[in-house]
Amino acid sequence: MAILELTNIHKRFRDNVVLDGIDLKVEKGDIIGIVGPSGTGKSTLLRSINLLEKPEEGKLKFDDIEITLPVRSKSKKTVNELRKRIGMVFQKFYLFEHKTALENVMEGLITVQKKSKEEARKIALEELDHVGLWAWQNHYPKHLSGGQQQRVAIARTLAMRPDIILLDEPTSALDPELVTEVLTTIKAIAEQGYTMLLVSHEMDFIQKISTRVLFLDGGKIIEDGSPAEVFNHPKSERAREFFEKMYRLKEPEFII
Amino acid sequence: MDTSFSDYFSFELMWSRIPHLIQKIPITLELAGLAFLVSLFVGLLIAVIRYKKVKILSPIATGFLSLMRGTPMLIQLYVAYYGIPAILRIFNSWGANIDVDIIPKMVYAFLALGLYQAAFTSETFRAALESVDKGEIEAGSAMGMTYGQILRRIIVPEAMGNALPGICNSVIGLVKGTSLASTCGIIEITYQNQILAGRDYRYLEGYVALAIIYWIITIILEKIFKLVEKKFKIPEQPKPVKEAKHGNP
Repeated sequence: MAILELTNIHKRFRDNVVLDGIDLKVEKGDIIGIVGPSGTGKSTLLRSINLLEKPEEGKLKFDDIEITLPVRSKSKKTVNELRKRIGMVFQKFYLFEHKTALENVMEGLITVQKKSKEEARKIALEELDHVGLWAWQNHYPKHLSGGQQQRVAIARTLAMRPDIILLDEPTSALDPELVTEVLTTIKAIAEQGYTMLLVSHEMDFIQKISTRVLFLDGGKIIEDGSPAEVFNHPKSERAREFFEKMYRLKEPEFII
Repeated sequence: MDTSFSDYFSFELMWSRIPHLIQKIPITLELAGLAFLVSLFVGLLIAVIRYKKVKILSPIATGFLSLMRGTPMLIQLYVAYYGIPAILRIFNSWGANIDVDIIPKMVYAFLALGLYQAAFTSETFRAALESVDKGEIEAGSAMGMTYGQILRRIIVPEAMGNALPGICNSVIGLVKGTSLASTCGIIEITYQNQILAGRDYRYLEGYVALAIIYWIITIILEKIFKLVEKKFKIPEQPKPVKEAKHGNP
């Protein structure tokens, strides 16, 4: 049974249709890579799943939680229940600036999951250790590099033991040098069996770790299949064109 | 005719005034303290209303700010001093039973001072609230925190560090502003000086003594705030990790 099911999701910003009837079923353990040109609704799709964006139309089903859109103010509680179980990693990390790495990871455990300070600390230290930042626990975000900040953000998300992790371009705000350390961390999570949805422009990486790839264009899913199918044998002209341009970057005349 | 400097200004007299004036410092500080609490509470309320752009209340708050900033504090004190009893008497004429004379003058003074300062404090708060990255708020909601929790645990503590210098100015402004309360008949240090000077007509020495006292209070307050600011500031250097990892070195 699908853990997450989106039905006919519509979202517009003013006159601009961003999501135009998205249907998506996510199975437990799926690692879904979402690719496509800029401004085609990839991030909006991700942010609609935890309702940081509020679609005007459609239905969202997550495990035993069902939300009919648009969200009514009386279902605030339901939205919060949903968010407690879906983790999100942002492009710009968004760590809490006045808290140390450790306190950042502990925050949700204490305020949302109502764990004791000691317990939260224990879990948070474990998670920081997993992303290789145990020794950085007392550092404030401003003391950390972008890559380290993103790894703390990943630890913060994992500490909540979410059922699904949404990653919204987790490496596109990083210096090229720092991308690898974050991708390595994400790969390690993927291998732990987490259900993930990942928006990224790192095509090689998506091809390697995804179990399924979506190609979005004009607010619609126009390709949906295994990485091999979507990347090597795209059905649509738009996707073929997109990948061709991507691969052309690697050809000799571009390497000066 | 021989004149000496001491005919115009006697240091001796000035020093002798200081102990008499110091006696009334508690009144000055009490007035400033109460006004500060009013300004903090009202200032924060207005700041949040304007930050969250609350319907109906937000334009009212903006109007209040404009009024407070656009009129002198002295006039506001007089309006409070004569106005609040007048309003209470109107209530009484409608059947309420409030003893207007029982309300101490202090109440008018700290309310007026507090509301005046709230207008400025609220802008300090609002700027500080807006300095918090919207992304952090989003990160908080994405992990399931309620807006109240985000406000308490993320926005306010983080904004506090940025608001403190402005709050310090506010407190200093209030301490100095209490001198106006002498016009409402409250015997704080400024009024005390007028009483003393009234006996020997040596006003200048008294006022210089007063200036010194206000200045010293201000310096002490600044020092205290510097210490508090340090507590809220994110340290330049991270603290070293004390314990060993999993019991291993």
